[in-house]
Amino acid sequence: MLFNSIEFILFLPLVFGCYWLIPNRKLSYQNLLILVASYFFYGWWDWKFLGLILFSTIVDYSIGIFLSRSHKKIARKLLLWISILVNIGLLGFFKYYNFFIENFTLAFNSIGIHVNQSSLNIILPVGISFYTFQTLSYTIDVYRQNIKATHSFLSFAAFVSFFPQLVAGPIERASHLLPQFENARKFDYKNAVNGMRQILWGLFKKIVIADNAAEIVNQIYSQSGEVSGNSLALAAFFFAFQIYGDFSGYSDIAIGTARLFGFDLKQNFAFPYFSRNIAEFWRRWHISLSTWFRDYLYIPLGGSKGNILKKIRNTFIIFLVSGFWHGANWTFIVWGGLNALFFLPLLLTEKNRKYLNNVSDNSNIPPFKVFMQIIFTFSLTCIAWIFFRADSVHHAFEIINRIFSKSLIQYSGIDFVGTRFHPLTVLVLICLFILVEWLGRKQQFAIEHFRFYRIKSLKYGFYYLILLAIFWFNGSPQEFIYFQF
Amino acid sequence: MKRFIKLTVLFLIPVVLFLFGLGFLAGGTTDPFYLRFTSPPQKNLIVGTSKSAQGIQPEVLEKELGIAFYNYSFTVSHSPYGRSYFESIKKKHNKEKGGTFIVSVDPWSISSYCHDPNDESQFRERNSCVAITENVNAFPNYEYLYKNLDGNYRHILIKANDKILLHNDGWLEVFDIDMSSEEVQKRVTKKVKNYRSKYLQQAKLSQVRLHYLEQTISYFKEYGKVYLIRLPVSSSIYAIENELMPDFDSIIEPMIEMSNGYLDMTPFNRDYIYTDGNHLYSESGAKASQFIADWMNGVSRNLKPSQAE
Repeated sequence: MLFNSIEFILFLPLVFGCYWLIPNRKLSYQNLLILVASYFFYGWWDWKFLGLILFSTIVDYSIGIFLSRSHKKIARKLLLWISILVNIGLLGFFKYYNFFIENFTLAFNSIGIHVNQSSLNIILPVGISFYTFQTLSYTIDVYRQNIKATHSFLSFAAFVSFFPQLVAGPIERASHLLPQFENARKFDYKNAVNGMRQILWGLFKKIVIADNAAEIVNQIYSQSGEVSGNSLALAAFFFAFQIYGDFSGYSDIAIGTARLFGFDLKQNFAFPYFSRNIAEFWRRWHISLSTWFRDYLYIPLGGSKGNILKKIRNTFIIFLVSGFWHGANWTFIVWGGLNALFFLPLLLTEKNRKYLNNVSDNSNIPPFKVFMQIIFTFSLTCIAWIFFRADSVHHAFEIINRIFSKSLIQYSGIDFVGTRFHPLTVLVLICLFILVEWLGRKQQFAIEHFRFYRIKSLKYGFYYLILLAIFWFNGSPQEFIYFQF
Repeated sequence: MKRFIKLTVLFLIPVVLFLFGLGFLAGGTTDPFYLRFTSPPQKNLIVGTSKSAQGIQPEVLEKELGIAFYNYSFTVSHSPYGRSYFESIKKKHNKEKGGTFIVSVDPWSISSYCHDPNDESQFRERNSCVAITENVNAFPNYEYLYKNLDGNYRHILIKANDKILLHNDGWLEVFDIDMSSEEVQKRVTKKVKNYRSKYLQQAKLSQVRLHYLEQTISYFKEYGKVYLIRLPVSSSIYAIENELMPDFDSIIEPMIEMSNGYLDMTPFNRDYIYTDGNHLYSESGAKASQFIADWMNGVSRNLKPSQAE
């Protein structure tokens, strides 16, 4: 079920009503309702893969229980590895099997050993990368004794399958979300209103910004062999907003929806395109995944401690694995590697933690230097996104070559026949979007609070204006990009 | 909680009313098909592809024959003969006896573009409005608007295309286009290029489509008279159609036998003008409709088609 579908518009109020109308708001009934609703939500897409979620839930719940009972180091380690193997095994089979087979076949064939390729027609279950990482973090935390294992299967199953964040995150930690399933939730008016506001903003990001940008990007990429450098640069710019609007929009809707049920999910995007360097960008982009890799991979590897070689190694590992997490394609791996290259100079000169505060904290007009830093960082991310969007690494290099050629300044008329709006219209929408995001950059999400909210007519007028924009400027519906991960 | 629900409901009431009201504003300029899903079920139908959608004018037929026809034709992508179109036609028909039906035929409407021309799961119309709209007789038709406008609801308020108008009788009028010979030639060249490079390469006669054409005629026969028409096209498009199916008439021979008459208008191709080589210009459409009406009159008076012509 998609957040921007009529099915969800009917589903959400129904579940919301039932949830808060449960007599005495009995916790177990509420959790059961969330579990059933979540399985229904997921099953709407493909019920056959519900078994996978259930399997992953049972495995990690059981391992958690065994870990809590076991005090022997070897046994605990064994249990941890079972969880890792099961979760990574599921991910590996459904997501990476064909990639490895194809590449091994290619490698063997290139050295003269003929190997028959036997790829399988595997469908990637939506959200598998997200819920396997969530359950895995639970087991690791129990193993590390950072949290206690839960004995309530219902709470744990609801935690794993919680529908707002099941298919595209944010990837929640058990330490943060699981206790919320084990304690009574109470309805908070302000929180619920904020949730609705965040859903509205998320829909705007997805439907107006991402979907319109996607149409232009698709149009240019479909003729990438013929168009000039400036068109490809335009596509890179629009793709940056497509992926941001798409993914952060989804996160906003997920977090907002969770708020309606009395849950608090962690912020997943903190205005990343206003970052002053790449390190800051990675603290603000897909925060739940970055921190996951930081806590469960980077720090165990030694983090930024140790000699230079170790720092370089750890940086590359985390970025390459992060890239590979996104998809079984070399383009994602190169994307990760490129970000590591952008990040390394900052790490080695110890400037990676230079910008921990909000950009231009005291003024809405940034100093020129800061402005240029933002533009430079954004440009680097746009270059990296080319690999993320391209069909192959070769394709990405072709695009970059063309962008940095004479054709960057040549006029080329592209026929945007298939798009709903002219790129200039979409550009204006993006500029307005950037303005609103900039004004709200110190908050959890851009429209969380504005001074003019004190005047009711202005506040509601603003909401209606966003709705009107969604109605008028909606792009051709596209599936959420992160569903494929 | 109560306050939250109250405010949310109050906030959403204008939104719901606005969306509800939109349905009443949708009409002949929303898109080229919507209006056809809003009329009540009809007694007399015209079925076929865009050639008949643009070329056969019910108003002209009614003047001549005194029969109120409804043009339930779409496009070659939406309504080639097949299960989807057949089911939709049955829903649009009011099941009254004594009806009159015009079935427009041409090689494209019985061809498939997929590898196996009889594989229904690959038929091009499987996701079209004709296939996915369950209710074809509702006004406003919210199901159609939701399923087929792809969220593009602003086209209800502003014209999607200022050169087309779908009339209440189902006729799709294309107007205000440059009909100078150079512009027409440009459009014909483009159309011919498209048909040659794209459709002609892929199109194959489909026995399944032929079967559904037969089913459609057989269904109509239960309720009245059925006339088969092959509308005129420009000579260049006609040449492509002949390459695709040189023996078209013999292929549809059994259907001709079932019908109350078959009018092949391609011998008169030169008598008409076309917007793009494939579709009759509105004035020519009126002329062709008049010709069809005269012919039907002749047939119903038991004259041979050749005499009626």
